[in-house]
Amino acid sequence: MSTHEAGISGELRRFLRGGVSLEEHKEATAQTPITTFIPAEVTIPLAQHLGPPAQAIVKRKQVVQRGELIATAEPNGAPVHASVTGTVARVALSPHPTLTEAPAIVITVDPNAAAPQCTDDPAWATLPRDVMLARIEAAGIVGLGGAAFPTYRKLRLPDGVRVDTVVLNGAECEPYLTSDHRLMLESPKDVLRGAWLLAQIIGAQRVVIGVEDNKSDAAVVLQAAVEQLSLSPAPDVLLCRTRYPQGAERQLVEALTGRRIPARGLPLQVGVLVQNVATAIACYQAVRYQQPLLDRVLTVTGPGIGHPMNLRVPIGTLVQDIVAHCGGLDARTAMVIAGGPMMGRALGRLDVPVIKGTGGLLFLRVDDVQREPYGPCISCAACLDACPLGLEPNQISIYTEAGRALETESFGTRECFECGCCAYVCPAERPLVQFIQIAKAAFQTGSAIGLGVRPGVVHG
Amino acid sequence: MAETPGLRLAPGPHVHAGQTTRAIMWWVTLSLLPAYLWATYLFGVRVLGLTASGVVGAYLGEWLVNRLRQQRQTLRDGSAVLTGVLLVGTLSPGLPLWMPAIGGFMGIVFAKMLFGGLGYNIFNPALVARAFLMACFPLAMTTTWLAPRPGVWWAADAVTTASPLTVLKLEGVARAAELLGLGPAYYGQLLLGFRAGSIGEVSVVLVALGAAVLLRRRILSVYIPLSVLVGTGLVALASDVPLFHLLTGGLWFGAFYMATDYVTAPLLPRAQIIFGLGIGALTGIIRIWGGYPEGICYAILLWNAVTPALNQWFRPKRVAPEAIGV
Ligand code: SF4
Ligand code: SF4
Repeated sequence: MSTHEAGISGELRRFLRGGVSLEEHKEATAQTPITTFIPAEVTIPLAQHLGPPAQAIVKRKQVVQRGELIATAEPNGAPVHASVTGTVARVALSPHPTLTEAPAIVITVDPNAAAPQCTDDPAWATLPRDVMLARIEAAGIVGLGGAAFPTYRKLRLPDGVRVDTVVLNGAECEPYLTSDHRLMLESPKDVLRGAWLLAQIIGAQRVVIGVEDNKSDAAVVLQAAVEQLSLSPAPDVLLCRTRYPQGAERQLVEALTGRRIPARGLPLQVGVLVQNVATAIACYQAVRYQQPLLDRVLTVTGPGIGHPMNLRVPIGTLVQDIVAHCGGLDARTAMVIAGGPMMGRALGRLDVPVIKGTGGLLFLRVDDVQREPYGPCISCAACLDACPLGLEPNQISIYTEAGRALETESFGTRECFECGCCAYVCPAERPLVQFIQIAKAAFQTGSAIGLGVRPGVVHG
Repeated sequence: MAETPGLRLAPGPHVHAGQTTRAIMWWVTLSLLPAYLWATYLFGVRVLGLTASGVVGAYLGEWLVNRLRQQRQTLRDGSAVLTGVLLVGTLSPGLPLWMPAIGGFMGIVFAKMLFGGLGYNIFNPALVARAFLMACFPLAMTTTWLAPRPGVWWAADAVTTASPLTVLKLEGVARAAELLGLGPAYYGQLLLGFRAGSIGEVSVVLVALGAAVLLRRRILSVYIPLSVLVGTGLVALASDVPLFHLLTGGLWFGAFYMATDYVTAPLLPRAQIIFGLGIGALTGIIRIWGGYPEGICYAILLWNAVTPALNQWFRPKRVAPEAIGV
């Protein structure tokens, strides 16, 4: 069935400026249903989100059930739950995907444990808003699209702010990644109920779901589910042009609602709340089943891994266990990236756990990442065409290179959200994002570091 | 397993579009092949000798400055070779073989390397090289046009002639029309390239073909070259032979290959259109009212000097509105 027959109306939504068209590389896993993998041991860090780390409340040798609270949240933080049933092996400093090392609770999995009971609250859809919100807070849900900001904080609107539209992000514009695509295909109703629920909580009258047109099958499935569920308000499923960074908040909001978020501002300022599809499902499960955020669905992919797949793993599963489960590494693997190839973060080691915010694992070989040393800017203007914000990364890089990072404000240093479009197209292969990061750091410290700081590749 | 040795920690993006500086330089160089082979067919293998000479001079200049400054050699980026090749495109085919080498060397050393190398120069090095040769060897530069002798690869007795624009300048419109036989047949020959002229410019069709390849690969955009042609065309309306002006001289070569040099041209389309119109108009003005038969070289160099100002005036427009309160 075509999207047109499915009743998905209107033209392709698009953001107006810049962006790049990327090789998608999604074919390896787009048709692969999500499967579950449970390792022998999980390492659950206490810090998995923006905000203060949680406090451990379990001890060594203690038996814990899947779903049990094992670390309580500090104010503005998020609690942490046991993602598996088993025995606490230790609470200790462990390797961390973003913080190098951080305290974590290590649990040995009991392979014979029965699946824990789950409570279904039949009245979930009519609960008062603050009960819904409390359940989302207690579930430890953070934004699963990347930023990992505690979701209940995003839903607790500041006084006087009115939000009329929930935008659900099903764009998944990073190449290689397909986990959101699979979630939309496999659990369309949960996605929709989650989005509807978010709208209830913040009092929004409209729900729109943006799906890139390379995943039109997901849009068709969602549209069919909209008709079956008859939610009110009924979510609108809208197709977006496949173009990076369609899934960035600013570009998605512009494409779907025509509203422009102010510089360095938030969607709230134009009456919009943006959530990712995986977060919506988690919120639905938290409100209806009071189930905490325990698993992460992620795409394990790239030319460096034996068997690419979409996996559901308990939070705390080590990357090395996933590698073993997925057929091992190609000998030429040179980079392991948590997330996608544009904005993902390189991992220096494989003994780090998957955390709530891990969007995917991408394994690239030497030939995929081979780079020449970067050269001088040749003023080709490719970066200016590509920047979706109309910034001047060329100038920021030139000034920063010359030790004049503090003079780059007018080129948009602070506005840059580091999407990487500019560096992707730069023929001189200048590490433009890194120059911008150096300039931002210079603003923070007020000193023109950057003089003598040469961006480049580090070997872990 | 502890640290996994050899895993790279470069920051994102971890993928690249693949179009590199070096690839761009080589594509531009290669796209000139049809035009230069055509010139070889018309004027003999000395065209290839001149090209080699220009490249060697440019290459040596860059190598020497890097060497003296004890910095990393930059020859791999291909830009020196391109400068040498482009310079020869602006020269008459009858020049002594050693002359492009001098030009290439001086252009690279003074217009590029002393400014800090690729990306830092203000003036197009190939055109500075040409201007330098013009100043040093004015006679050779203006009297060594060869009459086309298709298929004569090796001629000891090359026949010099005047370029069409020189005829126009020296003899005036009426006499030039008589001498050259201005008419559809002649314009057809100009288009295809059976005529005297500089090496890169003789065939408008082949210059356009090379440019089309670059347009397709998105190395070139049309704003500058089209506005150069429009600018010259508009001014040429003031002469009696606008079509003649559009099809002769280095106009097409200059519009597509010289004015478009990234480093010395403005960044944004609006600025590029002004830049192109300015070059085109100035070219026409020099040709019609100035002292030289051809003006594109100086027109481009002059507008190169305006580029930094144009880049200041025309900046990208921010997408996000300025924050108000909240
Ligand atoms: S990384 Fe920043 S400067 Fe570069 S394209 Fe993205 S927003 Fe623009
Ligand atoms: S893309 Fe790179 S070379 Fe081109 S203008 Fe931007 S920084 Fe300079």
